[in-house]
Amino acid sequence: MHQPSIDAELLPALAVPDLQRTLPRESAAFVRVDTSLRTYWHTLFDVCPELLTLADPDGLRIFQPFMAWAAAERLTMNWTFYIWAYRWLCQSEFADRLPDGLAQSMLAASAARWATVDRGRHAGIVLTDACAALPTLVVGWKCDRVDGARRVERIGLEEPLDAPPGRFGHFLVPGFSLDTFPGWMAIPR
Amino acid sequence: MKLGFNFTLGGTYPLVCEMARAGEMDFCELLVDNFLQIPPAELAEAFPCPVAFHIMFSRFLENEQSALEALAERLRDYIAVMRPLYVSDHIATFSHEGRQLYHLAEVDYATAYPAVRARVQWWQELLGTRVHLENYPSIMAGGRDAPAFFERLAADTGCGVLFDVSNAVCAWRNCGVALADWQPVIASASHFHVAGYGESILAPKLTLDTHDTDLAPDTLGWLHDLRAQIDAPGHTLTYERDSDIEPDAVRAELRRLRTLLGADADASPVAIQTANHAPAQH
Repeated sequence: MHQPSIDAELLPALAVPDLQRTLPRESAAFVRVDTSLRTYWHTLFDVCPELLTLADPDGLRIFQPFMAWAAAERLTMNWTFYIWAYRWLCQSEFADRLPDGLAQSMLAASAARWATVDRGRHAGIVLTDACAALPTLVVGWKCDRVDGARRVERIGLEEPLDAPPGRFGHFLVPGFSLDTFPGWMAIPR
Repeated sequence: MKLGFNFTLGGTYPLVCEMARAGEMDFCELLVDNFLQIPPAELAEAFPCPVAFHIMFSRFLENEQSALEALAERLRDYIAVMRPLYVSDHIATFSHEGRQLYHLAEVDYATAYPAVRARVQWWQELLGTRVHLENYPSIMAGGRDAPAFFERLAADTGCGVLFDVSNAVCAWRNCGVALADWQPVIASASHFHVAGYGESILAPKLTLDTHDTDLAPDTLGWLHDLRAQIDAPGHTLTYERDSDIEPDAVRAELRRLRTLLGADADASPVAIQTANHAPAQH
């Protein structure tokens, strides 16, 4: 069995559990890939712990097939990570057991992640779920004070906006006031 | 030498200000790209001490040129207004085939040099300043090529190396990169990092750059060995802690670093630790 000696050789495996299994268990390469995979695991379950009530206590019945699907779909694993995890759940063995409010939680997690990792000029992001019981916007704001933090808020609407192009939609907000609706854009992959 | 602490999110702002006013730290290393929605003048007013800039998510080795040009345009304003002690960034791999890595990877030093050199030159031109680039906490044996890579990169591009002592300790423990191998890099470095490290969950145990705990004895031993090179006029040392930030623990580590690198360093009991700590062999 080939034993990789440089980190770059492991790039294809860093987000793909199936490829970890091709490495010798007692190798540094195996543990290095494990360390990478755990980062994705924590990103998912630390933020959405309710997912652990759906499956096994360590979440692997969700984590491993989701990561395999994400790799097959070539998902970028950017701020949309949680939304795509939810979409996978909707077509998984867990589809008929998804708790109420999970979609809103996953939208909030994606909004928070956008506010954390985006380096563009926009100050906020607005997300929506066309299947929500009530028309609601989930809004993520970047940090606007040195002693502040990113913020996520939910805004209930009296009247729904136009429907997004799919179940979920988003748009970006230039400043820290939400006073225009430029129309929904699809969720990037 | 100035001793600093890193500031990444607003929650530690009161602690940073208190420590600066009390003289417990001399400067603040600001993860500047977390705060780009705050106008430069407002951000400059916020700190009662000098600041340095640490750029985390430029991804300048792989990001699209248009995105980097837009980011650099904004960063130049902060550099002009805040006049940081230094501007730093990372030599690391942030994605693979368009998919983001949540645990950054090490570049392939044997093949990446021409592309890295070109990007470093371009990124410095865009920012209008010298950039100090941080060494990676190597896990795999390819890390043995890092010291020569950074030495060559600095010579060819004029960049600085933000020499992360504990990252070098991680590389030593994981793949045996000796402190002596870094000596040419250290000799020309002005800015240094140090942090606590942790271990991988699985065995064989790897040493991981976790920033969540106190400094390890072997790291303190390396610092002691390097104190004459670190503690020099115009130099800086930043203690990084990004989680489990307990104010008393941070203050204690800063005091320990001040003592270790100051006039009392010869009396430090941690100096003997390196001799007793053998790196892992792979």
